Amino acid sequence: MEADYLKKKRILLVDDEPELLDMVVSILKQEGFQTIRTAQSVKEAIAAADDFSPELAILDVMLPDGTGFSLMKELKRRADYPILFLTARGEDEDKFMGFGLGADDYVVKPFLPKELIFRIMAILRRSYKEDNLLIKLPDSEIDFERAEVIKDGEHIALTAKEYDLLSALYRNAGRIVTIDALCEAAWGENPYGYENSLMAHIRRIREKIEANPSRPKALITVKGLGYKLLVEE
Amino acid sequence: MKSIPKLIRRFFGILLMSVLLIFILNIGMLFIFASGQTVSRSPWTTAIEVAEALQKSGDGYQLSDASVLEELERDQVWGILIDDTTHQVIWHTDNLPEEIPMEYSLGDIAMLTRGYVKDYPTFPGRAEEGLVVLGYPKDRYWKEMWPSWDYDMIKYLPRTILVALTANVVLIFLIYLVTNARLLHFIGPIIEGIQKLPEEQKVYIKEKGLLSELAMNINRTSEIIQSQKQELKKKERARANWIAGVSHDIRTPLSMVMGYAGQLAEDGRLTEEEQKKAVVIVKQSEKMRNLIRDLNLASKLEYNMQPLKTQKENIVALVRKVMVDFMNLNIEDKYDLEWETEDSLTSCMITVDGELLKRAVTNLIQNSMNHNPEGCGIFVSVKMEPEACCIMVEDDGAGVEEEQIRYLNHAPHYMVCDDNTSEQKHGLGLLIVKQIADAHQGKVEIDKGDRGGFRVQIILPYEAE
Repeated sequence: MEADYLKKKRILLVDDEPELLDMVVSILKQEGFQTIRTAQSVKEAIAAADDFSPELAILDVMLPDGTGFSLMKELKRRADYPILFLTARGEDEDKFMGFGLGADDYVVKPFLPKELIFRIMAILRRSYKEDNLLIKLPDSEIDFERAEVIKDGEHIALTAKEYDLLSALYRNAGRIVTIDALCEAAWGENPYGYENSLMAHIRRIREKIEANPSRPKALITVKGLGYKLLVEE
Repeated sequence: MKSIPKLIRRFFGILLMSVLLIFILNIGMLFIFASGQTVSRSPWTTAIEVAEALQKSGDGYQLSDASVLEELERDQVWGILIDDTTHQVIWHTDNLPEEIPMEYSLGDIAMLTRGYVKDYPTFPGRAEEGLVVLGYPKDRYWKEMWPSWDYDMIKYLPRTILVALTANVVLIFLIYLVTNARLLHFIGPIIEGIQKLPEEQKVYIKEKGLLSELAMNINRTSEIIQSQKQELKKKERARANWIAGVSHDIRTPLSMVMGYAGQLAEDGRLTEEEQKKAVVIVKQSEKMRNLIRDLNLASKLEYNMQPLKTQKENIVALVRKVMVDFMNLNIEDKYDLEWETEDSLTSCMITVDGELLKRAVTNLIQNSMNHNPEGCGIFVSVKMEPEACCIMVEDDGAGVEEEQIRYLNHAPHYMVCDDNTSEQKHGLGLLIVKQIADAHQGKVEIDKGDRGGFRVQIILPYEAE
């Protein structure tokens, strides 16, 4: 299971509300995360970071002895790992500031457990790739490290664009990725006018990963909007 | 200030007219006065009449006409007759003052003709053998002693008068100009100030000169307007901050409700009945979350505390993203989201605040879901019109009555309405959509769609002013 190694990651959770900490811990535990450390202040968080070396930190913006942003700077100075903000402050300024300093994502309270878990999984997938991890699809497997697809024992190489598109789809596995986001993943900023190229690439990817490209099971089209990659758990 | 040349012309016209009128009036008055004076006869004629009436009788002379003598006595006029050859006074009236000499040299005669005898103004008249001289009381006449006029002067008189008149007119104009320039100098800033007042700009006019009092009043008015504006802004900001604070404080407790309810809803150990209850709690807390978010944004937009962060955005991509977010996160099988934009339309670039516009579209889709709890189809499209880009969200659900559509299109929302309306309140979702469209100089049109449901269009001009 690809998710298993991600769920072994060490998570540092910082919030000044003990009840909220309890709840997030219970959400994470229910989801299968095992190593979680909590802290209620900047001081505690830094001490925990030194002791625990987290692989993901979930921070509140407003802490009794400082802001989550300054805490993030402090943590990033010690070691580089992804940071997710969890806050009641929904203002855009905070959002921009958080991303500007290198935050990986931002979840505004109140949130549903599945939203939080999805964000955490997306960040972890992006940040930690397991060696020799094979992504299981209905008719094939993807080996991102070697940039190839294994179908019926045959190894098929992926081109750079196909690799970019597939990894963008995989990061959001099970969810629709818009045409625009895919074009941006493959061709960079302001990707207009690539819709036809995208369709051509998708067709070629299907030929590689699907048993029957005209009846795709893994790479699904959502008419007019985008595509969705279904990964087998 | 365009009216100033007109003002000058009018005033100058009035001024010229009045000068002309005064001139004519003066001439008329002079004429009337002068004609009044000629009622009593000229002393020169009287002297000639006396000379004619004087007749020789024996040794002496006598006035043949008694009325002439009467007249002389009434006017206290004395008269003498000087003999041509002897230069002696050969006749005189009875009232002759003693100081009057009785003999005259030729020089004396020349002088009395031109002027006076012992300060009595005298007037000569030719008699048969001598010269009649009438002497009037000293305070009766003043005589011009040197009456002579240069012919050149008379010749150039019309020109001289014309030049003088022109000079006068120019002088009047200059006086007018100077006085008015001073007045305009003071009025100018005041007019400017008054024009600025309705724009609620800060106005300050120098409080000096002729109209300082007026300037002072305008300054005070401006100050009052400014302070009221400040006060209002302060109140609005306080209200928006209050709403932001409350919504912030609700977020953490609501997280707990949503978090645990969400966990319970997916807890396989619970009975189906219990899980259903948890789902209801999740749904209701999601509604509360949306409400808080909307309330906060609506108040910020209403009080202009939400600065627009605009940049060129592809509206097609933006709307597509909103739809996909819904499908990825919120979608339930009851709602069927359909993308109806033409395939050929892949980009529609407008300068907008992307986050706000996403909120507007999100609210419209959410609105359709809220009003159709039994489920419905939701159809979203982007169209390029000649002048504007149109985002349309339509559903095939319950729809609304014509009456309600009119109400939604025109009635102010209860949040921005100051009367205590007891009518059915509608959510903040549509208000925010309207506010966001307004912020982009666009508009919102609500109607019954072709599918019989609810249809809302956000129309955004390509070029916002």
